[in-house]
Amino acid sequence: MQISVWGQELSAWVARSQLAAFGNQVVHADQLTEPSGSELRSEPGLLASLEQAVLHQRLICDHAKALASEVHWIALASGQEQEAIDLVKRLAAKHQGPLLIINQSQFGVGVSDQLQSLLNGEDQHVLYMPDLLQAGSAVQQFANPEAILIGQNSTQAANHLISILRPFHQGQRTIQLMSRREAEFVKYAITGLLALRLGYINELAALSDHLDIDVDAIRRGMSADKRIGGHYLQPGCGFGGLQFTNYLEGLSKLLSKQQSSVLIDTVLRQNEINKEWPFRTLWQYFNCNLSDKSFAIWGVAFKPGVADIDNSPSLRVIDSLLAQGARLRIHDPEALETLQQRYPNAPSITFCNNSYEACDQADGLAVLTAWPEYASPNFQLLRATMKHPLIIDGRNLYDPARIQHYGFHYFCIGRQCLSNSELFSE
Amino acid sequence: MSTQWQALHQSTDRLRNTHLRNLIDQPGRFEKLSFSHQGILLDLSRQRIDDQVMAELVSLADESGLSQKIAALLSGEHVNTTEDRAALHTALRLPSNAKLEVDGVDLVAEVHQTLDKLEQFVDRLHASQWRGYSGKPITDVVNIGVGGSDLGPLMTCEALSEFRPQVAAGISIHFVSSMDGSQLSNLLLRLNPETTLFVLSSKSFGTLDTLANAATAADWLIAYSGLQRELLLKQHFIGVTAAPDKAITWGIAENNILKFWEWTGGRYSLWSAIGLPIALTTGMQGFRDLLAGAHSMDRHFADSPFQSNLPVLLALVGIWNINFQDIHAHAILPYDGRLAHLPAYLEQLEMESNGKSVRSDGSQSRERTCPILWGEIGPNAQHAFYQLLHQGTERVMCDFIVPARRYQERESGLQEQHQLALANCLAQARVLSLGDAALTGDNERPPWQRYFGNQPSSVILLDQLSPFTLGSLIALYEHKVYVQAMIWGINPFDQWGVELGKKVANNLIEALNSQSSSGYDLATNGLLSAIHQQQKENH
Repeated sequence: MQISVWGQELSAWVARSQLAAFGNQVVHADQLTEPSGSELRSEPGLLASLEQAVLHQRLICDHAKALASEVHWIALASGQEQEAIDLVKRLAAKHQGPLLIINQSQFGVGVSDQLQSLLNGEDQHVLYMPDLLQAGSAVQQFANPEAILIGQNSTQAANHLISILRPFHQGQRTIQLMSRREAEFVKYAITGLLALRLGYINELAALSDHLDIDVDAIRRGMSADKRIGGHYLQPGCGFGGLQFTNYLEGLSKLLSKQQSSVLIDTVLRQNEINKEWPFRTLWQYFNCNLSDKSFAIWGVAFKPGVADIDNSPSLRVIDSLLAQGARLRIHDPEALETLQQRYPNAPSITFCNNSYEACDQADGLAVLTAWPEYASPNFQLLRATMKHPLIIDGRNLYDPARIQHYGFHYFCIGRQCLSNSELFSE
Repeated sequence: MSTQWQALHQSTDRLRNTHLRNLIDQPGRFEKLSFSHQGILLDLSRQRIDDQVMAELVSLADESGLSQKIAALLSGEHVNTTEDRAALHTALRLPSNAKLEVDGVDLVAEVHQTLDKLEQFVDRLHASQWRGYSGKPITDVVNIGVGGSDLGPLMTCEALSEFRPQVAAGISIHFVSSMDGSQLSNLLLRLNPETTLFVLSSKSFGTLDTLANAATAADWLIAYSGLQRELLLKQHFIGVTAAPDKAITWGIAENNILKFWEWTGGRYSLWSAIGLPIALTTGMQGFRDLLAGAHSMDRHFADSPFQSNLPVLLALVGIWNINFQDIHAHAILPYDGRLAHLPAYLEQLEMESNGKSVRSDGSQSRERTCPILWGEIGPNAQHAFYQLLHQGTERVMCDFIVPARRYQERESGLQEQHQLALANCLAQARVLSLGDAALTGDNERPPWQRYFGNQPSSVILLDQLSPFTLGSLIALYEHKVYVQAMIWGINPFDQWGVELGKKVANNLIEALNSQSSSGYDLATNGLLSAIHQQQKENH
């Protein structure tokens, strides 16, 4: 089967690699630029799988051929709606016979119906398949999906897609059919609920500090209830990520416009406040004066496993510390290069390739991303490296008792850290 | 009495029985009596003047040495004679490449250093990087000041709020002035101490009203946070003052002081760092546009012949009305709700500047000086005091102020509302001047439905209300005030009349606190004892 895949999103590249891996002829319209230069390079398994596809010529670049395919997979960025419309118009002009368009872009509710209206032929269909992939495990999720959701208005077209995806579901996974508009909304609904869970646990964490209880115990207790489960209940200094935030902002706008609801907007606003928790903690610890202090930052990616810093809490922390005249030494296993592009001329930032080097003579260390390599550092070495023994843990990675045993002043989120009482009350 | 003064009295007699409607009918009058400068049109055709009066008024200005006096003002001579200092508000709006050295000091450099520091403050606040004691960004800025440290910024912020750039959206501005704490007490109930910044604006840093409000604000922060006063003042107070030493003694951090100068009069100070709330509202670009608009009017004032010089003409027409037409009430009537605070602003500018009866040489003025100014948004005043303008016994001169264009990118309903305001503005100016003749038809009406007309007015038509045109408009009035003062021979830059009351109040505080009710005049003694009685009963 010849399939053309359009777009530079993670979902486009994963679709290319995986459709090619199972024998399809995947055609790419533009100059074949592998995502090795972008943040996608750190997506586990993606580059290797693309290399294989190119090596065996199952992933080729040919503009004319791309337009000629009967099956098109469109995974464009949310701002590229007009490009999608133009593309579908060109396809409609070129094809009289059958045409199957799988839209996986986040354009909002109703755009797939609009794309369908641009087609003429009886056997020409637009399907919507929400992009449910999570950065960091996207290849594995595409290859082995828990369920497949298809927005359609033609069983025949849906069956065509199901047959294309057969190697991945093997007839054994749940396949749900719904209208295109419903399928377009599903990802908003999922993202909204996840954000509400994160917002809720962070509220509980803030409250825990006042009630003299450990939010971690509360979280475990909640997770034991099957109705709740354990996902997205880890308190921390805010969430980020481009796609996650885009969906939330889209949902927030819909809710606010259609029914004046501020539910998601409140979560988003509070999240921006939570992102600055590490800054506020340092600010209070040092009595509102951070000028000429030097701080180490561990982790700038918005979550472990990605090189992406879009809307990452680390950016707010970095900006606020720089604005107060602090110097920063920053480490991240993957996202350092991306961060350097964002702060090309920042004499107050030193980009460090080694996490201990970042702590050299530091007045404090802020841990902002839960990379595995930060989970169990050599605290003695850290204590000897830093000028002042202070750790601000935005991800609750460490055991308060143990870390205080090493002589650190330790601040974490909602876990009865003794040091929290040293701050002003908020 | 000078010959020009006598000539004008003769013209008064000559025109005594000429109704304004007969003057207005003369062909070419509007073209002759309307004057423009960069977005502002001044229409004087509804004043009770003719060519001869205009010529005589201009001669009066010449005779009073106005040219030299304008030059003296702009070059930094000590035109404020009773306080022996310059009045250099015009220096505050000089562009950075201008040159002005006074007593060996490069004022332009000093002014722009302060502007740059102001810009840093504004940028930090707009970037949400000015932090309160808990580390949260400041969201509310409370300007504590009174008089010139309040009216100018308040009026301008209200007028230009729709020019607020996106970066300014996170900051709300509040104004607190009243000595009794009325405004402050309401604000403190709803503001969050963690995210509130106070700007103490006081030229002398000794203004009782302001220091009383500031003390309450500081106590509020201390009570809420439980932190040291010094730490809180450092994060939550900015001082804008010409007396930095006093501000530092009070507790303002040196870095948080924006300086202005003794040569900036309070009511002429919105162009200085006192304009911080303005810059926070409009962004620095908006503030610089405001300064540019004023500077443009300064150049016009300095360079244009009196026959087409807007501030000079506005002043001369005022002289004509006050000293020759015997009109001593002046209404300020903006037909634009954004200019709601302009009347209050001009009340201070004109009455505190020219409300004087002793001339600069110490002699008693033989001529009447500043009239009583008051005003209100025109359409609202139509439902309040216009009755008096149309049918009362008082002669009143009116300034109508209105923009030609507004709401051009907004809903059609709003555009129609602007047309409605314009129509009312033109109608009122017309009826005030023409009286019954404004409408043709029957004049067979009972006496209480008759309109005499013959009330003079000026119309100031702005292309649109913008930072630039507002800057020009305010500078127009500032210079008008100066011209009138020069013709009356008074000093517009002091305000000795407000001093005695302050001293006596200090004295009475003791009497109130000590429960004493003797030693004053009988009226005061009586009231003191009544107050003591009340306070005792409710204790």
